[in-house]
Amino acid sequence: MIDEGMQEQAAAYALGALDAAEVQAFEGALRVDPELRALVRELRSVIEALAGTVPALEPSAAVKERLLRQIDQLPVAADVPGEHRPPQAPARPWIPWALAAGLALAVVGVMWQSAGLRAQLAAQAKRIHELTVAAELARSETDDLRLAVAKLRESNRVANFRIALLDSLLAAAPRTVAVSVWDNDRQDGVFIVRNLAPLPSDKDYQLWIIDPKYPSPVDAGVFRVDAQGNVRADFRAKLPIQTANKFAVTIERKGGAAVPNTKAIVLAGS
Amino acid sequence: MADAGGNVAEADQDALLIERIRAGERAAFVAFYDRYAPLLLSVAARVLGERKEAEDVLQEVMLVIWNKSGDYDPQLGTLCSWAITVTRNKALDRLRARNRRLRLVEEAAVLAEDAGSSAYPSANEILHGRERAELLREAMQALPAEQRMAIELAFFTGLSQSDIATRLQQPLGTIKARIRRGMLRLREQLGGAL
Repeated sequence: MIDEGMQEQAAAYALGALDAAEVQAFEGALRVDPELRALVRELRSVIEALAGTVPALEPSAAVKERLLRQIDQLPVAADVPGEHRPPQAPARPWIPWALAAGLALAVVGVMWQSAGLRAQLAAQAKRIHELTVAAELARSETDDLRLAVAKLRESNRVANFRIALLDSLLAAAPRTVAVSVWDNDRQDGVFIVRNLAPLPSDKDYQLWIIDPKYPSPVDAGVFRVDAQGNVRADFRAKLPIQTANKFAVTIERKGGAAVPNTKAIVLAGS
Repeated sequence: MADAGGNVAEADQDALLIERIRAGERAAFVAFYDRYAPLLLSVAARVLGERKEAEDVLQEVMLVIWNKSGDYDPQLGTLCSWAITVTRNKALDRLRARNRRLRLVEEAAVLAEDAGSSAYPSANEILHGRERAELLREAMQALPAEQRMAIELAFFTGLSQSDIATRLQQPLGTIKARIRRGMLRLREQLGGAL
């Protein structure tokens, strides 16, 4: 009889939800317990069914052609199970010379600079580097996110949904971002926020849907974020939505307001 | 879980196929590709939310099948479930290499597709035919929503059980129990359908 704790681990193992240390420990148990192996085998069949529920895609012909060309260039799979080792990368004879040259330059540099000046310059360079990296990261994250949302919108698989990306309107919190997925047929949605500052206990964030059918934004409920500023919330609108044109988030008193405080908009987007 | 008649034949075919692939038989590899590539591509696309990168993953996975077929242990699952696990892990590796904001959108896609995927033919339908696919879909849909969501988040987004607990604002023990109950219930419900 497999106890509940082991069943939990077996289920998580089959799903790939254990971390590396847990996997190692579980596989140790798996090796000596045929009943556990049988359970894992059955749970993996469940995974097979789960995986097959996704919308079917046909690979393009080019993938198969590329693949067959590639395996034709590889050694034939051996009778002995295991991995074909790729050939070792050729040695790079220039590396020792480059290292030596770099070292010589470094020694000259040390002779020319006083320790204090060098430290100051290094600190400034580090700061500039950090700022550059942060700016680049913010830019690429936003670009990637927009690209991903655009792709989702184009995708037939989510054609029935209104997917909106909400940007931060707070200069002090440029990394705050949210995604709203609205199902107009079912009249409900999922709202996911990252990096939004938690509010004091007498305030709530409130989500609004802008529908041209109504003169003012429609209340879609209040939410709070966790200590990291994240939340995933299901939401429904207080009125029937015809067209969810835009979404916005405001800061309101606890429990929410009937109309949005337009001076306290923190996120908005379409 | 007992195999139904047609599934035994599939399992036998797969056992033969993997032996031939291990022996380096190109035709067997092509047969494997033709049979499973649509399913594996669909899984990769679901994880990544993108077709082009999913095709790159498919290619990587197929090379693993060709080069590392010795890693497959039939005691721990079918050839198909092994290939799915390899695909899912390779797709997640790529996903993790992207930034965390992009991940947010993938999560939204998973949640959106939870509700909308039934309108399109599933990979199960292509692989097993409409009747069996319908059985599998019904079994999934019969699962309580909170159990299905925990299972799908774990499998398709690669979140750990702790991550899922944080996202769903539930205790870790609750998430572990949901996953266990959901998986065991699916095992019972699917019975010989696989």
